[in-house]
Amino acid sequence: MTSRAEFLGSIRREMARTRGLFEARPVPRPADAGQAAEVVRHQMLERWPQALERFREEFERVAGVFHRVANIGEVPGVIRRIAQERQAQSVLSWDPEALGLDLRQSLGQEGLAVTVAPDRDPDVATRAMHRDAAARAEIGVTGVDWALAETGTLVLVSGRGRPRSTSLLPATHVAVFGHDRLVESLEQVGVMLEALHADPARGMSGAVINFITGPSRTADIELTLTRGVHGPKDVHAIFVETR
Amino acid sequence: MSDASLRTPFPQRAHAALEDAHLQEALGIATTKFIGLRKESFAGFPEGEALRDRARAIKEGTLQQLDRHLERLADNIERLGGHVHWAATGEEARDIVLRLCRDKGVRMAVKSKSMATEEIELNEALEAAGVKPVETDLGEYIIQLAHEKPSHIIAPAIHKTKGQVADLFSKELGGRFEADPEVLTAVARKELRQKFLDADMGITGANFAVAETGTIVLVTNEGNGRMVTSLPRIHVAVMGMEKVIPTMTDLMVFLAILARSATGQKLSSYTTLVRGPRQAGETEGPEELHLILMDNGRTRQIAGTLREALYCLRCGACLNVCPVYRQIGGHAYGYTYPGPIGILLTAMLKGAASVKDLAHASSLCGACKDVCPVRIDIPRMLVDLREQLDREKIAPWAERMVFRLARRTMTSPALFRLGASLGRVAQRPFVRNSRLRRLPFFLGKWTRTRDLPPVASRTFSECWKDLERP
Repeated sequence: MTSRAEFLGSIRREMARTRGLFEARPVPRPADAGQAAEVVRHQMLERWPQALERFREEFERVAGVFHRVANIGEVPGVIRRIAQERQAQSVLSWDPEALGLDLRQSLGQEGLAVTVAPDRDPDVATRAMHRDAAARAEIGVTGVDWALAETGTLVLVSGRGRPRSTSLLPATHVAVFGHDRLVESLEQVGVMLEALHADPARGMSGAVINFITGPSRTADIELTLTRGVHGPKDVHAIFVETR
Repeated sequence: MSDASLRTPFPQRAHAALEDAHLQEALGIATTKFIGLRKESFAGFPEGEALRDRARAIKEGTLQQLDRHLERLADNIERLGGHVHWAATGEEARDIVLRLCRDKGVRMAVKSKSMATEEIELNEALEAAGVKPVETDLGEYIIQLAHEKPSHIIAPAIHKTKGQVADLFSKELGGRFEADPEVLTAVARKELRQKFLDADMGITGANFAVAETGTIVLVTNEGNGRMVTSLPRIHVAVMGMEKVIPTMTDLMVFLAILARSATGQKLSSYTTLVRGPRQAGETEGPEELHLILMDNGRTRQIAGTLREALYCLRCGACLNVCPVYRQIGGHAYGYTYPGPIGILLTAMLKGAASVKDLAHASSLCGACKDVCPVRIDIPRMLVDLREQLDREKIAPWAERMVFRLARRTMTSPALFRLGASLGRVAQRPFVRNSRLRRLPFFLGKWTRTRDLPPVASRTFSECWKDLERP
């Protein structure tokens, strides 16, 4: 077995042979990530309407379905219509606190089976149960950490009450967000991610960050574009004007 | 790659590919489409050129402090509860996976597409050890069922028709399936969904690993990368050590150009950033995460002629534009990595002798360098490689002598003049209709598929002398 010291030792030996041959060019990055993130948030307070337009355009270009509602109370109605179209019976949702909305009350009364993610440290049995529910669910409802305009991308950070599979296992993914989630460029997402990792206290609790750009797709058979190969066939984004 | 296919010499493998009418059609359609998609995507993206320069600078800079970045990556992954393994060779990397399988009682492993695991022939090793490896990328799944090898880095099954896939699924999965990509994709979804849920281990490669945060990055379109890192209880990532990058800011630079170069998308459907196993409070995720950092010949090139090949992102853009790849496809190359970059990577992993034929399977036209997102100078390295084959006497004796003679002649005016005079006489029996045809001996290989212009009755410098006279 090669040890870490041996592995790195052989790299160092070869590196020593190249000393002075290549110039080092450090790539510029924000000095204070938290402050840089604050600057971006401040810029977006003014620029979000343009960013939203661009997001919509790009999101639709990658076959996403965009909805806009006046307030959070209208979100269940949109999900209900999606369920009717898909003839879906079961909905899986992030923890109401993480989502900012409890779908059990609104959708549960209408005959849809709603499962919400556990909000505290789940034990083995709870996790197994949730996984079975996720595997069966037809619609998954999540929040959004950043909605990236230039590519129509939804960025989701996993964690407590925010399982990673809610946006993966059900055939339809519905993401809900407000204007404070909009960013314009990948570069800005980079700033946000630097800040997220720089501040351990406010940092992410979960292990995974997903950039989701449209539905799951493949072109592996004769380059014919086909949707929903492993992940969702349909992705919906619901923009909420006021929380 | 299996030994069987390498027992046939490269020229024969190439000929077989050229005579395969179906392969020719599939290659033409696929590569042309990829070229168009890439072009279109960069056309509407003026900042792309500057980002390519930046991406290249990041790769250069990282390589200069590779030891520090790898240490940082390893420390961070361990801090987050993951395990890091160091593999000097492909064999060692394989053994680490097999030992994990044995220790943890793994019977089935689901895999997302990974060139690194292809490189070490992991599937064969797993099968021999009684572990069932299941490829879950649709293209890889198809070729695994067909017992074949990928023919393109990002589109492994482009050589197969939908009819062939339908027949294959019908035979292997039982049933009668229509030759419709939509239907066949649904079949694979159902079949593989259960495998994701049942598997004990998920095996991935890594497109990048961010040292500063301990993050493994996977870029996929189908979502299988997310499945295999979320559902099985163990996640193992096998990564070439050169994939490490310093920061999240750097990652964004690469994401902005990777998918554009590969498929013409702005971003692939899924970019998945994994840091550690399931964290406290999370509902899902593996209990264990193992990162295997693999050398397998890479370190030798840090100060070697193939150093730049360590920048490669495995996007496949150079394959699509290569006039040789477009004619013969991936299988004819005979190794894991096809195309122009594949020749260099093969030389890196298996030594220069393994590419003594392949090093010449390039017209040095430079199209690969033009499209490479990190501007790898592939043509220059191919020339260096040819030079090395000559210097180390790996190239055949006759070839080396011919080139030696040519060099002597070209670099000495006196010899050049003499050569021209001799050539004028010697060529006489072979000139027909002012063309050189059917040269004798091994020279005949030149004239078998093309005619050469004969040595002129007066050389340019002779004409020039006349003109100079008043």
